[in-house]
Order: sequence, then structure tokens, then C-alpha cells
Amino acid sequence: MPTTHRAAIISATIYVGVSLGAASTFLLITVLTGDYGWVPRLGGAVWVFVLSMIILMPVVIPRVKKGVANPPRAVRN
Amino acid sequence: MSAGTKQRVTIPVSGMHCAACVTKVEKALEDVAGVSKAQANLAAANAGLVCDVEQLSLPQVEEAVRDIGYQVPWERLELLVLGMMGSHCQEIIERAVGALPGVVRVSVTPATDSATVEFAGSLTSAAQIKRTIRELGYQVSDKGTGDSALDQERHARQSEIRAQLINLAWATPLGLVIMIGTFRGYWILADFLPAFLGNKYFLFALTTPVVAGPARQFFVHSWNGLRRGLTDMNLLYATGIGAAYTIAVINTFWPDAGFGGRDATFYESAALLTWFIVLGRYLEALTRGRTSEAIRKLMRLQPKIARVLRDGREEEIPADEVEVGDICLVRPGESIPVDGTVLEGYSAVDESMITGESLPVEKQTGDTVIGGTINKTGAFRFRATQVGRETALAQIIRLVEDAQATKAPIQKLADTVAGHFILGVHALALAVFLFWFFAGFGLWFESGSRLIMSPYRLTEVGVFGFALLMSVAVLIISCPCAVGLATPAAIMGGSGIGAEHGILFKGADAIEATSKLQTIIFDKTGTLTKGEPSVTDVIALDGARDEVLRLAAVVDKNSEHPLGEAIVRGARERGLTVADAESFNAIPGHGVEAAHEGRALLLGNRKLLADRTIELGALAGEAERLEHEGKTAMFLAVDGRAAGIVAVADTLKPSTARAVQELRRMAIEVVMITGDNRRTAEAIARQLGIDRVLAEVLPQDKAVEVKRLQAEGRRVAMVGDGINDAPALAQADVGIAMGAGTDVAKETGQVILVKDDLLDVVAAVQTAKFTMRRVRQNLTWAFGYNTLTIPIAAGLLYPFIHQVVSPELAAMLMALSSLSVTLNSIAMRGWRPRIRRGGGPAVPEQPIAAERLPAPAGGSS
Repeated sequence: MPTTHRAAIISATIYVGVSLGAASTFLLITVLTGDYGWVPRLGGAVWVFVLSMIILMPVVIPRVKKGVANPPRAVRN
Repeated sequence: MSAGTKQRVTIPVSGMHCAACVTKVEKALEDVAGVSKAQANLAAANAGLVCDVEQLSLPQVEEAVRDIGYQVPWERLELLVLGMMGSHCQEIIERAVGALPGVVRVSVTPATDSATVEFAGSLTSAAQIKRTIRELGYQVSDKGTGDSALDQERHARQSEIRAQLINLAWATPLGLVIMIGTFRGYWILADFLPAFLGNKYFLFALTTPVVAGPARQFFVHSWNGLRRGLTDMNLLYATGIGAAYTIAVINTFWPDAGFGGRDATFYESAALLTWFIVLGRYLEALTRGRTSEAIRKLMRLQPKIARVLRDGREEEIPADEVEVGDICLVRPGESIPVDGTVLEGYSAVDESMITGESLPVEKQTGDTVIGGTINKTGAFRFRATQVGRETALAQIIRLVEDAQATKAPIQKLADTVAGHFILGVHALALAVFLFWFFAGFGLWFESGSRLIMSPYRLTEVGVFGFALLMSVAVLIISCPCAVGLATPAAIMGGSGIGAEHGILFKGADAIEATSKLQTIIFDKTGTLTKGEPSVTDVIALDGARDEVLRLAAVVDKNSEHPLGEAIVRGARERGLTVADAESFNAIPGHGVEAAHEGRALLLGNRKLLADRTIELGALAGEAERLEHEGKTAMFLAVDGRAAGIVAVADTLKPSTARAVQELRRMAIEVVMITGDNRRTAEAIARQLGIDRVLAEVLPQDKAVEVKRLQAEGRRVAMVGDGINDAPALAQADVGIAMGAGTDVAKETGQVILVKDDLLDVVAAVQTAKFTMRRVRQNLTWAFGYNTLTIPIAAGLLYPFIHQVVSPELAAMLMALSSLSVTLNSIAMRGWRPRIRRGGGPAVPEQPIAAERLPAPAGGSS
């Protein structure tokens, strides 16, 4: 698999996964703590997901790219 | 050039709007193979690449930039190529031209005898491309439609202006109707506005084309960036507009969904937000070009046509085809096509556009002329010495362009902040959303709260709608456009002002460093003084001063020492006949002895006369007085008896005293560095009011003295002639090279003065200070705007005033901030350094001491 493609898949897995995690956490908190309707709960979860994606994509993609391009070398004792 | 050699290449980039765009372009370019460092400049609309030219692929560079939503307007050359016989010729030309470094693409059409070449002007030139085709045996000439860098830059800017104008024409009427429709239910509007205007489905039908049309660019650009892990302010706009539009659509079609109901459709927010952003971009594109007016002026100076003598005939050819050694003819009123040396004729030339000198400069045989200057009165011929990219004008343009493509340290900080700003703002928007969702809404929300600049009362808004509104307002209000523009716009203005006055800053860091100078060191000879000694006093024991000077000149007639030459010149200027001596004998380090008209003459220092046991008598006191004044006294003895003294001193330049006074007024310490003995040096310093003297410094030790001053914690500039003082200029925080003339690019130093005028040193400091003042004003305004408005948008004041910043107000404030920064930079135009605003009387020439030199023929130091 070409390096760029591999980097794209790894980074997408990370930022989508973390963003979904953040949205789920938001949803869970609204269910557990407050008297919220399903619209604010779901709307809020979507907004948290969108913002988390926007925050994570520029952070994750370059780091994964760099990591894939220069993998750490195994140290031999 | 060997592979692996790093070179700086500047490429044009259009479409950047803020510091985040700059960071985005830099990151994309640094990913291109062969590029080790990229520096984009928003105001200059270009990017400087430090790269391995062998490895660099310009199409890849172009693709990287285009991929993230920006354009690369390469220079374009349209040529008429005669002599092509078919596809074979086409292939040869395409291969040869395509192999030139800097050529991006070449397309030859034998059927129409034409060739189109796109190239990077920083790597090759139109002349080089034409020469290559000519060398292949074809006739080539301009089709007259070729685009220079200037044209390309103008076309790119015009196409951006046109695109934003179309967007504006699209968004303005629709936005107006949407706003009227939204406000229909208020005041008396319902009485005379038809009901359908306020219909939510009608508003949906009008807003959708605005979001899909003029606002589309924000979604496309931000997605293109995000895919590569890059963010810019388009993302802020896209999330802001997208959120407002989505809520409006939900409230229109599913009013009970809990987003505020049918009365809280934010169609006007989405439309007006788009309108303000597009208006801001349009005005910015319109005004940004004006900050680079100076470089445009310089480019316009480049002559198009030259008249040359070839095979004894006068021929008109394109100026970029003149070759070194060509004889050029210039008539009154014409531009001088290239740099050269006058062979024949006499004229006055207006050089103000290059040197800043307001009076026309007389030119006669042997004088240097500068390409791009205007011949005023007479006609003359000259031999071309520097052509194409080597002319002074081309070098100046390149220097100014490079300077504008660099970043001042203060800008690097602003860019770093702005580059991380977008992410920070999104993180803040998330935090604001979570705060108002989980805590703020329950604690402080009051139904009936108002949106500033909007008809809505937030009666039906729920916790999600309210928290989302706060979050979106933060996103929109935080755009760092103004932060990104603040420094480059002012730096462009400042470097342009400098260029207009013959002051060339080699980079934004040079402007910043010059503005902070505390000490300026002047080399004495050739900088403070003309470097040409002259006779100042003649003392004769018997009163016959002319005879003393005449005899001294006879003794020195064969001397090649500067002091000896000064005496001979002084005698001739006074109308004295200087005959040859019958015999002549130089006594190294002491003086000269000669025989003339049967008399034994001796001209030299005290020691020489003491060695010959000649009594000085009353002359001893006179000599001491002269030396105290900083002059070099030489004794003349005739037939073994002291006869008189000839004093010689260097001459201050006319502007020296005023320049020193002005620098001191600006609280800058002025230091003089010289090889003179301390007494002589201090005499000069006293005359000029110079604060500190570094005397008896050998040329090779000047850099050490600069270092010593720096070790005292002072920011030091060294002013010198640029070649002899190169190590000291390099050591100083700012090296100022004077009198570069037509060789600006060869000079060492960060600031190059075209003229040999000390007032330009003052003008350089004043220009740099003025520029950095504007930079600080711009940054204060840009950061101040964000510091003030973000907390308000985040709802800091809401618990007290129960009003929320509406998205359209946020967009308007954002547009105003970047516009104010651009206008503040445009206002720099027309500014002149204080020292160049007239006033200030010219100081008459003053003689001062000669440099400490090895004793001349007859020297007395």
C-alpha cells in the first residue's frame, strides 16, 4: 500500500474514532445528567463531532504522515 | 549548479487572504520534493522557496498550491517564431526551452508560427528564452501579448476582484431581499411589504443560491485544506455559514425540532455573513494591490525599446535584447534602455526614480548611465555595460521583491499565532458550546434576550440553539485576517518608500533591525569625508605663501601619495605653475628632497627637519595649532632653512554635519571609526559633534570594534563603502553600504544606499522606524480586535446585558478589522522621511584632518 494512502487511512481512523468518542461521551453525559430532549442531545453530539473533527484533522494528519514516512528504527541490543 | 545546492526561488501565489492561508501555502509547498523551506507573503502575493533547483519541479509546485485552492500566476510569454518547418521544429524548440531552469510549460504551434511559454521570472527571463530559440536558428519576436510579472500580478488581482464582484453582485440583491423579508414583521413594514417576502420557504429559496453560490468557495477551500490536514479562515466561514443555514433549514421544515422554532430562522445571518465576507474580500483585493504600488512603479520604469547601432545602422530592438557592448543612442525625453558608459554627447538625466536625487544629473563622456532613467536635454551615445537581469533597475526590483517576500521577526510571531489560531478558535468554540449547553443556559438564560443587530428575540430558542449560536459567533468573529495582513502590508509600504528614495532594505528583518538601532558607526574616510585631501592652510615665514605652496608642489610633482597629489592640485587651483624639479629623492616615512632653480628643497615631517638639524622656530607653534585642528602639517625648508608649512586635510561631505545632527536628535549614538591618530580623529569628532571616536583602528580590526560595541548590549549599524568594510558590515546588526550605484546586488550589508549621501542613512532609519510604527499599529488593532470581541462573542457579558452577538455583526466587525489594517498601510503612501522633506540648510564643505597615512613625500604625520 502506498505510504500516503496508508497515512490517510491511519489518520482517518484516529480522528474519526476520537471525534465519535467525544460525541458519544457528550451524548452519554446528556442522558445521565440532565433533562435534555433528543434534539439537543443529538444536535449537540453532531456539533461536538464536527468541531472535534475540525480540531483533530490538522493535528493528526501531519503527525501520522511524518510517522509513516520516518518509522522509528528498532534498537538492537 | 550542482545537485544539492540550495537556491532561493520566488514564485507568485494569488488568492491568499490571511495568515492562516500563508501557513497553509507554506506547509503545502514544504511537502514538495526539493523544497526545504517555504515562506509565503500575503501582501506581496508570492512565496520564497529555499530549494534544490535540480530536484525542484515547478509543475509540482503549481499543483501543490492549486490543490489547496490558490493560484500560481506564472509569467507568460507569447512569441512569434518564424522559420519552423513542421512538428520536428516544434519538438526541438519545446525541448530546448523546456530544459531552461524556470520554464514551467512551453507550447509551440507551427501552424500559427507561435509559441507560448510560462515561466518563473526568478529563475529565467524572457530575453533568455528568446535567445535560446534564436540560437536554434529561428527568428523570434514578441507577439505583443506577452505577460510580464507585473501583468500577471495585475491579471491575477483583477480576476480575483472580478470573481468577488460577481459574488457580490449575486449576494447583494438576494441578501437585501432576505433582510427585508426577515424584518417584514417589525415596525410598519408589514403595512406595505407583501406577505410572501417574509415567508420562510421564500427565504429558503433565496438563501440557498447565496450559500451554494458566493459562499461555495469557503466550503470547497476549507475541505481541500482539511483533507491535507491544513486549516484556514475559510473553515471559520464555512462552519459559521453552514451552522446558520442548517439551523434555518431545520426551523423552516421541522419547526418543532427545538432549534428555536419558525421565528428563529437565521437565513439573513447566513446571507449577510456571506455578503460581509465577500465584501471584505472584494475591498481587500481592491486595496491590497495599492500597497505594492512602489514595486509596480519600478517595474513600469523598465524600458521596452532600445535604439542601437548595428552594422553602422540605427535599429530599434526590444530593450531586453540589448547585449553588453552594444552602442545605444538616446534622444531627449527618451528612457535609457540599459546601464552603460557615455561615449559621446552631453545631457542631463533625471535619475530620481532610482536614486531619489531630485535634480537632473549631468552626463558626459565617461559617466555612467542607469537603465530606466529619463534623458532630459541632450542626445548621447553610450556603450551597454549591464543588460537584462544585471541592470541596476532589475537588481533593485529583485531586491525589493525579495525583501517583500521575507518576514520580519515580529511577523513570524504573528503568523505562528494566527496559524494556530484557527484550531484554537475551534477548540474555544467547542468549549463555549459545552459551557453554555451544560451550565450557562440554565444559570443565566432569559427568554426575551436579544441578538444585537437582528430582529430576533430568543423566546423559543432551546439550550442547543442558544449554545450553538454562541459557538458560531465565536467562530466568525475570530478570523485572523487582520493579524496576517498587519505586518506584510506595512513592510511592503515601507520597502516601497525606501526604494523610491534610493534606500534598499534586503529583507523585512533589515527594516525591523534598522528601526531598533542604538549606535551607528561611520567609517571616516570616504563615508564622513570625501576621502580626498585638499590644501587648507599655507604659512610662510617671509609672508610669500604662494611661493611656499609652489615650491612644495614642485617637490611633490612626481609623488603618487594622496597628500602630495593634494598639494599639486592645490597649487594649480590657485593658478600657480608647477615646474619639474631637477632632481627628486623620496625619503620613505619622512618626506621628499628635491633641487629646483639651484635651490635645495626639503618637504616633510618634523622628524625629517630634526634629522637635518633645521630649526623650526615660530613654525613649531603653528604646526601644533594646525595638528590640533586635525590637519596634517608639512614643513618646507629651502637651502637648509625652514620656510613655511603647507597643511592638508580631508574634506567633509556637504551632508555630513546635518546627518550627524539629525541622528543625535533621534537619540542614536554616532561613532566614528578611523585609522587616524587620536588627536586628529578627535578634532574631526569635535567639529561634527560625534559622541564616540574609535581611533587608530586598522582596517582588519573594524569588525572587532563593532563586536565590542555589540558586547556592550547595543544594537549597532556600520556604515561603509560596502566592499572594503565588508567584514565590519557583516558583523554589525545592520550593515549599511553606501554609494552602490549600478551594483546594488553585489553589495554587502542589509541596507543598500544607491547614492553616496549620508542623509540617506538618516532617511533609512526614519523609514524603518515609520514602517515598524505602522506594523505595531496594525498588530495592536488586529490583536486588540480579537482580544476584545472574542470574549463578547463567547457571552462574557450575557449574564449582565442579556444580548448576544449576532453572526452578521460578527462578520461585519471581522471585515472592518482587516479593512482598517489595509487602509492604515495604504495611508503610508506619499510619506517622506523627515530629512527629505526639504528645510534644513545645506552645510558648507568643511576641511578636516587627513587620514593617518604612511608619510607622504613630504608628509608630516
